[in-house]
Amino acid sequence: MAKLVKFKLDGKDVEAPEGQLVIDAADKEGVEIPRYCYHPGLGNPGVCRLCVCEVAGAPKPQMSCRTTVKEGLVVSTNSPAAKRAQAASLEFHLANHPLDCPVCDRAGECELQDYYQGYGLYKSTVREDKRHKEKRKSIGPTVVLDQERCIQCTRCTRFLDNVTKTSEMGIFGRGDRSVVDVYPGMEVDNAYSGNIVDICPVGALTDKDFRFSVRVWYLDRAPSVCTGCARGCAIEVHTNTERPWHTEGRRVARLKPRFNPEVNGWWMCDEGRYSYKSADSDTRLKASSRLGQDGAPVETSPADAAKGIAAELTRLVAERGAQGLAFVLSGTLSNEDLFAAKALIAKLGVPAANVALAPGPEQLGEADDLLRRAEKVPNLEGARALGFDTARPLTELSPDRFWGVWAVDRAVPAGWDKLPFTVWQGPNAVRFTGAARWVLAAAHCFEEDATAANFQGRLQRLRQAVPPLGDSQPDWAWFGSVLRALGGEFPHQDAASIFAALTAEEPAFRGLAFELPDEGVLLAASQPAGAAA
Amino acid sequence: MKPVLDKHRVAAVRRPEMGFKEQIYLVEVWKGLAITSRHFFVNLYRHVQKALGRAGLAGAVTTQYPEDGQVTKHRSRTRHRLLKREDGTPRCVACMLCETVCPAKCIYIKAEESPDVMIEKRAKSFSIDLGLCVFCGYCVEACPEDAIRMDSQYIQFPGSTRKDLIWDMPELMGDKPKAPSMETPKDPLSPGAE
Amino acid sequence: MICCELSPRFWTDSVWSGFKILLALGFGMNVAALMSWVERKQSAVIQDRIGANRADILGFRFLGLFHILSDAIKMLTKEDFEPPAGIRPWHALAPIVSMACAALCLAALPFGDVIEFAGRTWSLVPIQLDYSVLYVLALLSIGVHGVVMAGWSSGSNYALLGGLRGAAQMISYEVAMLAILAGPLFLYGTLDLAQASRWQAHMIGGVLPAWGIFLQPLAFILFMTAGAAETKRAPFDLPEGEAEIVGYFVEYSGMKFGMFLTTDFLESIVLAGMATALFLGGWHVPGLSHLGLPQAVFALVGVAAFTTKLLAVLWLLMQIRWTLPRFRFDQLLDLGWKNVLPLALANLLVTAWAVTLLS
Repeated sequence: MAKLVKFKLDGKDVEAPEGQLVIDAADKEGVEIPRYCYHPGLGNPGVCRLCVCEVAGAPKPQMSCRTTVKEGLVVSTNSPAAKRAQAASLEFHLANHPLDCPVCDRAGECELQDYYQGYGLYKSTVREDKRHKEKRKSIGPTVVLDQERCIQCTRCTRFLDNVTKTSEMGIFGRGDRSVVDVYPGMEVDNAYSGNIVDICPVGALTDKDFRFSVRVWYLDRAPSVCTGCARGCAIEVHTNTERPWHTEGRRVARLKPRFNPEVNGWWMCDEGRYSYKSADSDTRLKASSRLGQDGAPVETSPADAAKGIAAELTRLVAERGAQGLAFVLSGTLSNEDLFAAKALIAKLGVPAANVALAPGPEQLGEADDLLRRAEKVPNLEGARALGFDTARPLTELSPDRFWGVWAVDRAVPAGWDKLPFTVWQGPNAVRFTGAARWVLAAAHCFEEDATAANFQGRLQRLRQAVPPLGDSQPDWAWFGSVLRALGGEFPHQDAASIFAALTAEEPAFRGLAFELPDEGVLLAASQPAGAAA
Repeated sequence: MKPVLDKHRVAAVRRPEMGFKEQIYLVEVWKGLAITSRHFFVNLYRHVQKALGRAGLAGAVTTQYPEDGQVTKHRSRTRHRLLKREDGTPRCVACMLCETVCPAKCIYIKAEESPDVMIEKRAKSFSIDLGLCVFCGYCVEACPEDAIRMDSQYIQFPGSTRKDLIWDMPELMGDKPKAPSMETPKDPLSPGAE
Repeated sequence: MICCELSPRFWTDSVWSGFKILLALGFGMNVAALMSWVERKQSAVIQDRIGANRADILGFRFLGLFHILSDAIKMLTKEDFEPPAGIRPWHALAPIVSMACAALCLAALPFGDVIEFAGRTWSLVPIQLDYSVLYVLALLSIGVHGVVMAGWSSGSNYALLGGLRGAAQMISYEVAMLAILAGPLFLYGTLDLAQASRWQAHMIGGVLPAWGIFLQPLAFILFMTAGAAETKRAPFDLPEGEAEIVGYFVEYSGMKFGMFLTTDFLESIVLAGMATALFLGGWHVPGLSHLGLPQAVFALVGVAAFTTKLLAVLWLLMQIRWTLPRFRFDQLLDLGWKNVLPLALANLLVTAWAVTLLS
């Protein structure tokens, strides 16, 4: 840590480490300086010249993203000279901007719009015709480029150069003819391409998936965690519930990364970004069912399902013993779900060796150095902290030894579906679902309040963005209601109450509050990943 | 100091005193009954004359809607109209500003990619639920493309179901007539009846 | 067994009475239903409008009369709402009490005189009572209970205020009503409505019928005032002041609400019947007795005359209802206690003095 120095920011005495950028110091003090090119994750090339401020002693306005803090510096971000310089710079940016806000997807969250209202409000002196460039150019599977709207801040090219290191895009041409484009023969098809849409301050880059579906001001936002892999990127779930016709009835409209320096920084991968569709997909189970006499599923209410399952379990455990029942759990279960599952397993007397929790082949996938992890489940560390063996794969168990299986959100191989007692529980139907005797509709990860620990053992909060679809209910509610029907104790009615019990009983969670900080908390017993096996 | 009241020229209005005639009330009641009874009998006479097919004044000032036709002035700016470009395509670019500004939330637009790259975005469907509309005209104010106007000179859109009041894009553009589904009245008291 | 000791005359009387009561009830209910139409159409004609005319059967509208039918269907098929804070049995009982009291009054209205037939006289009054005025007033008083019960059992402050207003208003005017009627009854020397009608069936000086309206004009005006207040209709509709408290029936829906509505109309009919019997000569038609009609025809013309007079009074009540604005509550009570009651007592004194002097 560099030594702290004192300097003056807008007439206020401020302390900051020596050598810090003035723009960062101002951000920390809550003084907003407009900027396009500067991004804390991408550096400060100083191309946009919007963050100019007045520095005492300097003859001209200085860029706050290129000026460093030193003792006695006097900076003014809102003096008449600074404001004039910012407005002039903004006018320059808007000289060739087409102002097609009505058809632009960025409208509503556009920094040009925001800054014009905040720092511009000038009367344009540009009388010349605007430059016309290529509009609506597909530059990859996920992104559409509009060169006219671009203000050449170079954030996208720097992201592709420095973060993904794939360098598909560059700035071509000079002066007002300069355009941002992909290099010939290339397209932006890396695994993180969606991020360039997020960082684009204007509407030059738009997301094909989200394009024209819903205006951003209709969206509600819920801070949550991506459940696409063991990274657990902090995200914001954007939902459109008031005007369902825009998204064809889909409630979740898009996911955006949320800044978490400890987990994902500013980014998220495309795989996670577009995983939201499972929340409203056709495979979602809206009601629970039981296989009828003729082999066709019969819809049952949650209460009836819990009672029926408990009755069958009581009979079978009494007749054939608890060691004949297998639990195929999944890393997609939250800590609250697993806590309830643990109580149910203990009540039934199922031996720990009958529980398979290691990610199945369908739960493994690509990994890279940046964010993506091979285990495509969010809460393996939480399961481990709760005392589950996260290494035992389903293949270690043979269906021959068992009379029943309770599978959660997992594809279960053939052989298991012939057992007399089969329960499948999860939000979206998979191959095994149709064959299961009981199908329990579970809430999607965007539909519940929960906690999950990522591969680092960092516990983060998932927050409910939309209510559970149809008759579906959180996994813990299924485990809990069957447990109650078996005569066990399960007094909890919401996730907060379960988490309170969990912090009291589980040493790894001791002392934690359900309202976790934005960047999450490291679990007490966490060790480096991989030590569990 | 001058009283403030003087400056604003306040006139004190006195409540009229009630004399004995008013206080016994009966005279006034009688007068009131006389007026209402005059109306009653005169109007009844006119209704009967009308029912007998004789010429004369109408017994009621009521205009029967929708059978009597246009009830508003022709300069009324009420029902919406979607405008077209010169080539006949709708001007609307589905920016959703009217949908956003609408206080009654009666505008429903779905957007899609336009084949014309210079237009970029267009409305896939555009419907207005006139049963919810409050005719505030904000949609016209909000439209950046002059794609919607309320200058159809016309506020008549009868329907016997709520669905009849939802107008879709061809109907709003005038490409498809919206057929009123109301029957004609057979009430002899109705001035519009045959 | 006691039935063996009863004469055949008892049985014929019972059947005849039952038949008349059914007729009276049918008359009352039908007129009440029609009044919902009259209410709309009369107000419309007064106000240069057309009034409800859209309900139709096969495109035929018949002056909007089918609105009665559609109203009835609507009320019968509507959700029967029970307020969560309400007190259930009383809440259900209130409209029944209200309407039953009003409907029972109908039986005492003297629709006609007597017919000589099969060797005996047949009275055309549904139930013959020597004290039918008291019977009607008593039942109207009990009707207040329905209003108070509705207001109290609805579990709503608005309904309670409406019920209290209704109680205060109806009890105030109940007192006045007795004082008002005492004058003419003193004159007629009877408490029987039929007897009072009979009393009025002569001419004073051969030109003026001896109707109560001519002999007791002040009592007639006061009676119409108190009667309008009794029926809780404008300008005395404070218990149902829709703009401020909605009324004691705010928590009612469907047919229960419809029963309160019908009660108002039934009470109007009863009041109109009393006004006819006590002030308009009942079934008496001046000069009819000189035509020498057969006795049965004469009696039936009397029934028609009574009905016509009753409907005319109803028309007047309706006209008043659509002419006068609503009173304020203090004005209403002032009018009742400080004006109507003293005037009624003065009228009684003068009448008593005159009767004593002249007899």
